[in-house]
Amino acid sequence: MDDTPALDVRGFTMQFGAHRVLDDLSFQVRRGETFGLLGSNGSGKTTTIRALLGVHPPTAGELLVEGRPYDPAVHTRLAYLPEERGLYKKEKVLDVMTYFGQLKGLSHGEAAAWSLEFLRRVDLADHARHRIDRLSGGQQQKVQLGVTVMGNPAILILDEPTKGFDPVNRRLLLDIVEEHKRAGATVVMVTHQMEEVERLCDRVLLLKDGRAEAYGTVGEVQDAYGGRMIRLTFAGTLPASPDFHVETLETNYAELSLAPDADAQRVLRHLLDAGTTVRSFETGRTSMEEVFLRIYGADATKEA
Amino acid sequence: MAETRRRGGLHNLGTVVSFEVRRTLKRRSFWIMTLSVPLLLVLLVTLITFSNSRAFESDSDVGRVPVTFTYADASGLVDPAVAAAFGGTPAADAAAARAAVVAGRADLFVAYPDDPTREPIEVVGRDVGLLGGPNYVGVALRTLEESVRAQVGDPRVAGILTGAGEVDLVTYRDGAVAPGWASVVLPGLFIVLFYLAIVMLGNQMLQITVEEKENRVTEMILTTIHPTTLIVGKVAALLVVGVVQALVLTGPALLLPSLLPAGALQGAGLPDDVLPTGADLAAAIDPVRIAVGAALFVGAFLLFTGLLVSIGAVMPTAKEAGSAFGAVIIVLFLPFYAFGLILTEPRGLASQVLTFFPLTAPITAMLRNAAGSLAPWEAGVALAIIYGGAALFLALGVRLFRTGSISYDQRLDLRKVLGRRGARA
Repeated sequence: MDDTPALDVRGFTMQFGAHRVLDDLSFQVRRGETFGLLGSNGSGKTTTIRALLGVHPPTAGELLVEGRPYDPAVHTRLAYLPEERGLYKKEKVLDVMTYFGQLKGLSHGEAAAWSLEFLRRVDLADHARHRIDRLSGGQQQKVQLGVTVMGNPAILILDEPTKGFDPVNRRLLLDIVEEHKRAGATVVMVTHQMEEVERLCDRVLLLKDGRAEAYGTVGEVQDAYGGRMIRLTFAGTLPASPDFHVETLETNYAELSLAPDADAQRVLRHLLDAGTTVRSFETGRTSMEEVFLRIYGADATKEA
Repeated sequence: MAETRRRGGLHNLGTVVSFEVRRTLKRRSFWIMTLSVPLLLVLLVTLITFSNSRAFESDSDVGRVPVTFTYADASGLVDPAVAAAFGGTPAADAAAARAAVVAGRADLFVAYPDDPTREPIEVVGRDVGLLGGPNYVGVALRTLEESVRAQVGDPRVAGILTGAGEVDLVTYRDGAVAPGWASVVLPGLFIVLFYLAIVMLGNQMLQITVEEKENRVTEMILTTIHPTTLIVGKVAALLVVGVVQALVLTGPALLLPSLLPAGALQGAGLPDDVLPTGADLAAAIDPVRIAVGAALFVGAFLLFTGLLVSIGAVMPTAKEAGSAFGAVIIVLFLPFYAFGLILTEPRGLASQVLTFFPLTAPITAMLRNAAGSLAPWEAGVALAIIYGGAALFLALGVRLFRTGSISYDQRLDLRKVLGRRGARA
């Protein structure tokens, strides 16, 4: 297998006027992995994707797709679902899907056949000859999704993929992403939905102030920003210990972060010895949502 | 990517052109608009023919509708017998006759002055509407003319004095009869075509870059094809659509002369030879002027397409782009206001400025080319300016579209866009 990274960003800097949005950013996305590009609003995620796909010229740096700058004529199997979405609203569903299929290198017949198959799958076959603006918002989302994933893409870049999606379409989208992941596609997700990150992503990059704040596997990032956790329900009092720090404490529920050299068994024994009634005891890692809050908590408060 | 296919420079151009042409031709509004123009044209020609015919009839009636009148003749030129034939009797008392008309007891009183060439003839009539006045005047003048004609005796002298002489002008160029107005027709057709193209396709030119923004489909498109391909494809599709419209429009126009019934032009008060015949046109064909006209037309089309593409790329919505479109149209057709000047003084300063200023060059050069007053060197310079301007505007449009099309809700700041390259490290 070719070991050229699917995406390779080197020393990427983007400046709009006096405002430097991204500063000397470097990261790679490996082939076949699902990669989360995370950050608070305005941290430069969408700008990075746009620069990668040639929409914005970078101020400095190199952004490569499979070892070369993005070229729509060459990278016909790259699919992109942008944050700002839309289709030719006055055209018919099948015409628009076929057009995008042809732009991605399919023949007219292949594109039309694929589109009809997709429309059948998402219960929109009866609307193939309808104008897009006659469809409901949810139906338009399905068409948009079809346009994005048609042509068996090898790289899927999804910017806020579930934004504005109803639960049904959200599940549909995530199922389709998982299908492509299983089929070996590289997936890049720009998202604020941390449960999606935990469910799908192998590695993540968290942007803050135009730089990489955290970069690695989901587990590595969780370890770096909280590490191992104990979630327990209990009765009685919770004794103090150098082995853990109480992160969350409610009436009968607590979340404890473990010290680097602490052992969960030792903590349990310590609780029982102190007379605490332990009803449930679960070990795990810090959730990505907690990691996100730790990194962007102050920013998030400012934005709010 | 095993299935990746490498394409040429304008990758997917054919797909864009095909999609754009098909969706335009499928639109009901396109056909309503396209077919309504020749229908309106036929309707207009019919109306003009009919009303000209009525006007001609009315004109020949002037002075012939019988009317009873009294007159006072200080000149002594009016022959009472001639006046009687027109319904006139001498007034015994001019003031009383005038008062009778004012009071509504008589229809018309005419007072001929001592010298009708120096003083006006006084015509006092009972109001019978706006169209009745010319008949009163006609009666007064024809009574005088016929009286004078009878006094002259020789009908040829009388005819010449009343301007009845006819002239048959024939001019020669290089030993052959010069084609005259017929030579203007074919090069002049390009002005008409250009006018129709702007009127009928101007809005679509604007839409080239606005539509993707309004539908928020820009990013999907820009990451699938190059903006140059998209815009070139859309312009090419517009040309194809324009050809379809031209065929629909020119079909009836070419058939019009053969559709007109015999004598229709005469009936409309026009001489039979007002429309050049096929033989006239064949004799008037000047391949160089026609080629220059065609080149100017294509260049003008591209120039204004480029300009409107750039406007569309800057404006967030078609509505906002529409107001800028109005300004472009004013500049575009500015030379028509100086039409007389351009034709009579083609080497004058104003004509030269209008010929070489990019936005007025197309119409001015086409007008002068049709009139045969555009020198070869002027045609060359004008074509260079027009095609250079077209390339510049199209390139600017692509750049603005690439940068501005994702500024969905705001007007683009040109200084930022044009300065962005400088900011690159």
